[in-house]
Amino acid sequence: VRNQQTLDKEVIYVCPFNGAVKGRLYVTNYRLYLRSVEIDPVVILDVPLGVIARIEKMGGASSRGENSYGLDITCKDMRNLRFALKQEGHSRRDIFEILTKHAFPQSHNLPFFAFVNEEKFAENGWMVYNPMSEYRRQRLPNEQWRVTFINEHYGLCDTYPSLLVVPYNATDDDLKKVAAFRSRNRIPVLSWIHPENQAVVMRSSQPLVGMSGKRNKDDERYLDIIRDANGQISKLTIYDARPSVNAVANKATGGGYEGDDAYPNAELFFLDIHNIHVMRESLKKLKDIVYPNVEESHWLSSLESTHWLEHIKLVLTGAIQVADKVSSGKSSVLVHCSDGWDRTAQLTSLAMLMLDSYYRTIVGFEVLVQKEWISFGHKFASRIGHGDKNHADADRSPIFLQFIDCVWQMSKQFPTAFEFNEQFLITILDHLYSCRFGTFLYSCESVREKEKVTERTLSLWSLINSEKAKHTNPFYTKELNRALYPVASMRHLELWVNYYIRWNPRIRQQQPNPVEQRYMELLALRDDYMRRLEELQITNNSKISNSSTSSASPSQMMSHVQTHF
Amino acid sequence: MLSGSKHSFKIPQHAQGPPLRGPKSSDMNGKRNRSCQAFLCIPGEHILEEAARVRKVVRSRDGEGSILGTLYCTNLRVAFVPEPAPGDTAGAPRCSTCLHCEHDVALPCIGRLVAVNSFAKAKVLTASSTLKFIPEELVLYCRDFRVLRFRFHDSGLEPQASQVTLAIVQAQERSSGSAGTWYDSAAIRNLENAWLSAEESSSAPTLLFESPCDWEKELRRLGAAGWRVSPVNERFDMATSLPKYLWVPSRLLDNELKRAFGHFNARRIPRLCWHHPGGSDLLRTAGFHADSDPEKEDVRSVEALMLAGHTQCVIVETAADLPSPAEIQLSYLKLRALCLPDSSVADEKWLSALEGTHWLDHIRACVRKASEVAALLAERSRSVILQESDDRDLNCLLASLVQTLSDPHARTQAGFQSLLQKEWVVAGHPFLQRLNLLRDNDREESPVFLLFLDCVWQLLQQFPASFEFTETYLVALHDSSYIPFFSTLLFNCQWERDRRKQHRASNQIYAPVNGWREPPPLEILQKGGCLAKETGGPYLPTIWDWALRYTTQQRAQFRNPAYTRGSGSVLNGSSAPVGGDKLEAALSGNGAVYLFAKGALSPQTHLFPWKSGSLSRKGWRRAQSSESLSEQDRSLRSKPSGCPLQPDGLLLPASAGPLIRLWRRCYLRGSQEVQRGLFASTLAELTEELDLLRGRLTGEGTRLGDSPWWQQRAPAGGTGQHAEPPLASPLKAKRPGDWMAARPRCHAGDGRAPWAEPDLSAGPADEGGDLGL
Repeated sequence: VRNQQTLDKEVIYVCPFNGAVKGRLYVTNYRLYLRSVEIDPVVILDVPLGVIARIEKMGGASSRGENSYGLDITCKDMRNLRFALKQEGHSRRDIFEILTKHAFPQSHNLPFFAFVNEEKFAENGWMVYNPMSEYRRQRLPNEQWRVTFINEHYGLCDTYPSLLVVPYNATDDDLKKVAAFRSRNRIPVLSWIHPENQAVVMRSSQPLVGMSGKRNKDDERYLDIIRDANGQISKLTIYDARPSVNAVANKATGGGYEGDDAYPNAELFFLDIHNIHVMRESLKKLKDIVYPNVEESHWLSSLESTHWLEHIKLVLTGAIQVADKVSSGKSSVLVHCSDGWDRTAQLTSLAMLMLDSYYRTIVGFEVLVQKEWISFGHKFASRIGHGDKNHADADRSPIFLQFIDCVWQMSKQFPTAFEFNEQFLITILDHLYSCRFGTFLYSCESVREKEKVTERTLSLWSLINSEKAKHTNPFYTKELNRALYPVASMRHLELWVNYYIRWNPRIRQQQPNPVEQRYMELLALRDDYMRRLEELQITNNSKISNSSTSSASPSQMMSHVQTHF
Repeated sequence: MLSGSKHSFKIPQHAQGPPLRGPKSSDMNGKRNRSCQAFLCIPGEHILEEAARVRKVVRSRDGEGSILGTLYCTNLRVAFVPEPAPGDTAGAPRCSTCLHCEHDVALPCIGRLVAVNSFAKAKVLTASSTLKFIPEELVLYCRDFRVLRFRFHDSGLEPQASQVTLAIVQAQERSSGSAGTWYDSAAIRNLENAWLSAEESSSAPTLLFESPCDWEKELRRLGAAGWRVSPVNERFDMATSLPKYLWVPSRLLDNELKRAFGHFNARRIPRLCWHHPGGSDLLRTAGFHADSDPEKEDVRSVEALMLAGHTQCVIVETAADLPSPAEIQLSYLKLRALCLPDSSVADEKWLSALEGTHWLDHIRACVRKASEVAALLAERSRSVILQESDDRDLNCLLASLVQTLSDPHARTQAGFQSLLQKEWVVAGHPFLQRLNLLRDNDREESPVFLLFLDCVWQLLQQFPASFEFTETYLVALHDSSYIPFFSTLLFNCQWERDRRKQHRASNQIYAPVNGWREPPPLEILQKGGCLAKETGGPYLPTIWDWALRYTTQQRAQFRNPAYTRGSGSVLNGSSAPVGGDKLEAALSGNGAVYLFAKGALSPQTHLFPWKSGSLSRKGWRRAQSSESLSEQDRSLRSKPSGCPLQPDGLLLPASAGPLIRLWRRCYLRGSQEVQRGLFASTLAELTEELDLLRGRLTGEGTRLGDSPWWQQRAPAGGTGQHAEPPLASPLKAKRPGDWMAARPRCHAGDGRAPWAEPDLSAGPADEGGDLGL
């Protein structure tokens, strides 16, 4: 990381857990770094400036109380920082200005740190996702589905990727007509196809029905083509992620949902997932009960009152329904919300994670995020507010965090099903904010192309794939084509303590997980046995080959093992 | 379709001898297979009613399914014997132990019986109820949180359905009664003959603390130099509820000791529980007797007992921060109601409903208090006395929890079992009353012991490598609490237990029952020998005789493969040790006695509340400033060296809200969704897999060179019926069935591999309610 050191000051870090800590504060163009002095053990703070949501001055010239004059920093990753400063000199102004400038480069006409980052990695994460190879992996195109380049220059839809998979029987002209009837031209396109029953997961935005209940023959026909594509006679299932009230309310602004009259061959269900504002408020409440102090005596009811887990449950429940419908083979599924870039992305990606074991590998998951979130225009820039000082922006919302939380819930319920571990998910979330990589910058492919993100920045996957061992779940057991349904009940969902309450030293648990460590030792032990066995086999070769029951040799076993790891 | 009426349908009693002879004789396999299809009566057990072609509803990876089999109601239990699957020649695991099976439930363990018929409303059955309809389904809500569902065949077998249902209702009603009824029943009398198998009854030497040699041995292990084993209560003439032997200060003669008894409730005097390697002593005692009038010499004795040679003595008011037995019971009932699948609590309200049971609060209180006491012991050399009014409930819990935290030996299986013997069983925890297994008296019921098990589970979650045993083991212990076949939990104190033994000793003859023809195995007599000499009674099976109920494979899963012996001290966040500078300042006064309650130490002017011969609460006047622990918290936290005497292996758990969790595997096992796949997720399940792997690895490792290891039988896994496929490592087994058999107690529908997921066909969408659709 190219750090330009720009500041070095004596400050007092007012730690909510250990009290005031005197230390030296360094601010670079990437991070804020504090190292305590005169205290043992040393306290270290290392905060990428990207996680900073807000910087406030605390106290004024007349402040008299101890540590009452300084800076309050609100972070996006569930913590706040407070520094007490001397009133003399201009130290506070200096720190404030430097921090503000580098934490909010977009508000100061400065580039993101990702664009000046000169790190080198063994792997190139930008190579992870290639839409064409991903569709080929899904055995697309086929007789029913084709790849279209109609959006090559983002002419059809500026927030969609350039490459789209659509029904074979729909012409590019049809697509253009459909686009006119879908919010922001986000037409129904294929996300995933079931390898056996050919049922598909489609995603789109809401239809522009409006107050008058407009209809569009092309859209209706288009959905019927989709319904028809997997050769089933049943209706097409449409999952509208929103609560029905919201869907109806959207008619006032020109949106709406597919009505029975216009779409007799479709069946529509509302999934009751709330909008970005509700989620933002929920997370805010969660932060209130976990930081800095954990609500003690009424922990569970406080947790319940944040509704965070309830939202997680609804998202998971929706995804389970999508996955279940598709894997039953009875019908294809179209998922949308309003614009099709928040709840829709959550639902399609989670359903795909449940349906396709490939996405449960490290690289597969990277592909999933790259495809369903990044390329399909989840508005990372506005949801996270990268480099933007406007902390109160109503567009900010923890939608992606919620998705990662859902993934964590699944990994908790199926501890052997995911190649990646908890650290992998936390690393992703850390760099969702850090701006060290270009991966999550900007809101859609067209802008990223314009900013030459892949040429000028590094990918987060470069970091992760270069140190895969750190992000690998030792308990992973590869299983193909097994759908995975978590139990989405409050009885079985848990708060992700290691993420949301990780800053609290009183909550932290033994790290690294001793069981995981022990397991690694055992695996090593087994490898050792295998090696010795093979050696033995070589020396006793004749003896074994005489044995009639000998049906396999260790070398066969070795290959067996390797396929599992 | 049925081979005969219930009268002519012969149940082959097992004439082959004890079922656990297993692998020793070569022809056993054949017999075992046969016996699989039949019901194995415990000697003395008889079948009251039965119904063939009953389907037991199970939920498995294939969704809701059922197993076809025969339902039996005996004088002891309700049992279900599945029909062997066609082509299934491998002996089912249930054959190897008779007393414990996922399909069986002991009569006293049945909590509620519900008959269901599609035309009538579900009816809760009691002995007085008349069955106005023919039940299509019978649901047994068990007190151990299981729910068993039996579906009757719908063509032509209705009389059977009604008969077996009524028989169960009546048998269950009859099963209430005193422990003696159970214990003297023919079945139990012969239990030890039948099942104390040739196998080792317990791999670990559990100290029962029935003989002085156990007390001596443990005292030596603790290195408590100033203490001795006193036989003063050998005849229970000092205190009936106390154990026969007590650890008391060496310099106190029994004559002096006797002076102390009268001044404590139920004559339960202070005595040593545990000696800290750094010098501190943990004692427990009942409250001071209110009406006693101690003489000067009595006071001296009591003083010597309590100070135990230390200059400082901290009296911990056990009840001060902990729930009362009544509160525990109330909370437990709420918890059970909440966890049963028919709970009416909406999913969105689950968390607050769980909070409303206060069960987790009670656990938190216990864990926190135990940590505080453990810290007091580690801080400096002193005597720490746990004082509870009757010394038989929360003192048991606190004393054993403190030792679990402080003594790594208590975290081994043998050490833990010995601990339970010492602080619960012989210490006189009134198990019979508290577990109320026989429904004698509901008012005294309170699962203090189950609360303790949950506390230990919390520790296991927080320190997964610090325990030799697993969650499976704790669940087995929990289950044991509802099985009335063992002496351990069936009596209120050691005196009662001994009386029963003597009664039996004079009556007992090894009567062959029901085709039991072999003489009692010699080793049983020998086993009882040592004890018989000591106690004058024969050996009685205890719950520690795990082999009576669990197969070797199941028992293998009690061992935690992640266990690292002698792991260093671990502090999980909070619970900084008590004490520190401020405390020392307070202690520098003249007072040598402190009272510890509500997290605060307060200096006392007297050791005990008698002043000039009469009890005076004023004697307990608390000195001015009581230091609150939370105030000291901060300064201590930054000082990790707060425990100068900290022995290797002190665990200080966190007790903050998010870290005290619900023991799902235990309490939610009746819930359908759990059976769909959540068992898979627990850490312990993973360690169970690991254990198998390790067993195999070490097995192979030591036998390298004999024959290729994949042809050898796995030492801990499988039935040994087939050659192991190449690398049928449990972790990688393709078919879950391959090693399902090795799972501990397969719950209904729990025949899932840990990685398994719910099936696709009966998708979760079918379970509308659970998904909040």
